[in-house]
Amino acid sequence: MATSIREMSKKPEILTGGHRLCAGCGASIAVRQVLMGAPDGVHLVVANPTGCLEVSTTIYPYTSWNCSYIHCAFENAASTMSGVEAAFKSLQRQGKIKEDFRFVVFGGDGGTYDIGFQALSGALERGHRMVYVCYNNEAYMNTGIQRSGATVLGTWTTTSPYGENSFGKTQNRKDMTAIAAAHNIPYVAQASISHWRDLVRKAEKAFAVDGPSFINVLSPCHRGWRYPMEQTVEVAKLAVQTCIWPLYEVEDGKWHITVKVRDKKPVEEYLKTQGRFAHLLKEKKYAEALPLIQEYVDQEWEKLRFLSGEQE
Amino acid sequence: MAKRRMMRGSIALAEGAITAGCRYYFGYPITPQNEISEHLSSRLPEVGGVFLQAESEIASINMMLGAAAAGARAMTSSSGPGISLMQEGLSYMAGSELPGLVVNITRLGPGLGGIAACQGDYWQATRGGGHGDYRLIVLAPNSVQEMHDLAIRALHLADQYRNPAMILADAILGQMMEPVNLEPPLVEIPPKPWALTGARGRKAQLIKSLYLADGEMEKHNWKMYAKYQRLQEAEVMVEEDLEEQMDLLLVSFGSCSRMVNSAVALARSRGYRVGHIRPITLFPFPSREIREASRRVGKVLTVEMNTGQMWEDVRLAVHPGTLCRLLARPGGAIPAPKEIFEEIEKFVRAGDHFAENIC
Repeated sequence: MATSIREMSKKPEILTGGHRLCAGCGASIAVRQVLMGAPDGVHLVVANPTGCLEVSTTIYPYTSWNCSYIHCAFENAASTMSGVEAAFKSLQRQGKIKEDFRFVVFGGDGGTYDIGFQALSGALERGHRMVYVCYNNEAYMNTGIQRSGATVLGTWTTTSPYGENSFGKTQNRKDMTAIAAAHNIPYVAQASISHWRDLVRKAEKAFAVDGPSFINVLSPCHRGWRYPMEQTVEVAKLAVQTCIWPLYEVEDGKWHITVKVRDKKPVEEYLKTQGRFAHLLKEKKYAEALPLIQEYVDQEWEKLRFLSGEQE
Repeated sequence: MAKRRMMRGSIALAEGAITAGCRYYFGYPITPQNEISEHLSSRLPEVGGVFLQAESEIASINMMLGAAAAGARAMTSSSGPGISLMQEGLSYMAGSELPGLVVNITRLGPGLGGIAACQGDYWQATRGGGHGDYRLIVLAPNSVQEMHDLAIRALHLADQYRNPAMILADAILGQMMEPVNLEPPLVEIPPKPWALTGARGRKAQLIKSLYLADGEMEKHNWKMYAKYQRLQEAEVMVEEDLEEQMDLLLVSFGSCSRMVNSAVALARSRGYRVGHIRPITLFPFPSREIREASRRVGKVLTVEMNTGQMWEDVRLAVHPGTLCRLLARPGGAIPAPKEIFEEIEKFVRAGDHFAENIC
């Protein structure tokens, strides 16, 4: 497995330079780390629903993708890739294709948690062999920072403003990784761009299984999260250390925490690095959200420890 | 007292909806209309309303259907691909005779669609858009003032005729800023005795779009047709800028009509006698006005930012024998006044062979 920097540096870049993603964008880091996990010598087909990654890497007549690439509507990347994979299997059965292919979807959290959810669930249930990667920046960033099903409670977005009657988003996010795991597919993982060795290993496992796999990668967005662009990796690391984004995998139904957190930091350590939570820490009337976030983190962390057999 | 304020088109529209008593907004992010959602996400709670971001456009249109069935004045907004996803819900609303406002700040071209201004959704808007035999009430503003005023008008028409209404605009109208006169708070919402409000103290009622008994569905479709005929009789809105004697009549709508206005002024300054008809309601279409004017002039030039969608309605409307020509820019480009003027000049001077179509 190529998880030393020396070996990884020898792998060809699939997402090449010159794209128009922001400096400090987490999405391109997520894509490059995931594709480091692709086996050598296979052809790749990448599907991309509409979003920052798509608009910034495929500005006509250019492309940053050094592989086959298909763009589709916002709600159906998993369906489009189901069709590609089914066609491939048929051609393979007929002996018309001899080479080995792998199929990867990169959807944002909007295209995964919300509008693309139905298509994803169908694809996972039917068992198409594809690696579905959610590059998760916890809001609709391409359209101007609107709340999504992945947005954390208390977050400011342009459609979950804080004011007289609200401290920002009033609901907890949904647990998309656990929902994917509930489809009983061979491999599901939650990862972060800050833990590259962990992420590349997970990608390797996802590419290796003969069936669907799902990786939910935390990919901070400094425009939407409001932090200095050079801090993307530090912010992502704090998400792991505070357990608001624990790293784990579900392999054939077995839950396993892949990055142990011995001294769980208070979630405030993470919140205070980002402008999207600034109102919670600055103004007393919004502070009621803070214990709610910590409670949610604690509860989910304990649940994960229980599922992983790490709870006494 | 009327307040005059500098406003962006999307915001003026949102404020117009609030003025009209709309308190329920359901939407989903898509460029170039996010300003409407963003504005209403903080404004609606201030006036005791509800802003709800759905998980898709399919969800938002059906939330609007639910609110409308409960008797609320409700709206949604989207753009191109999102409006396409809403078509099933719109068909259900029309079939169930439920009112509501859909705002389409259009995108460019089929498929993903760019965000430049374009008028390619004319057919989708005016032909119903979804399945079945129905129409939407379609209003096409050409200024920020009209974004505000027509939002109010559309919500009233929708309630009055129990039919979904659409504002068809584009990124130019959504993004640009102009001074707007904000009307003082307006008229009450008409009573909705058909609404599903709980059957306490009255007979239970039913809202549905499917009629299975023999002949019932046909009767229902004829009833809706009669409603569309009534709209055609009573609700046409049109801006006419005609002259006593005319060499040429222009027809255009929406943002495109602003360039045509400039071209008309230019042509008149050079001595050409030209008139301009701007449909404000695209359905009902001002066919009568176009027929009357074309009888007097004989030559009609339609200018559109698509491949000639409204041109079909113009050709159906004109007086028999009228020479019809189209200036079309479907690619996100905006026809410049000079380009329109040159076309006017050519068409006025040319013989019959220059017309692309004789009706």
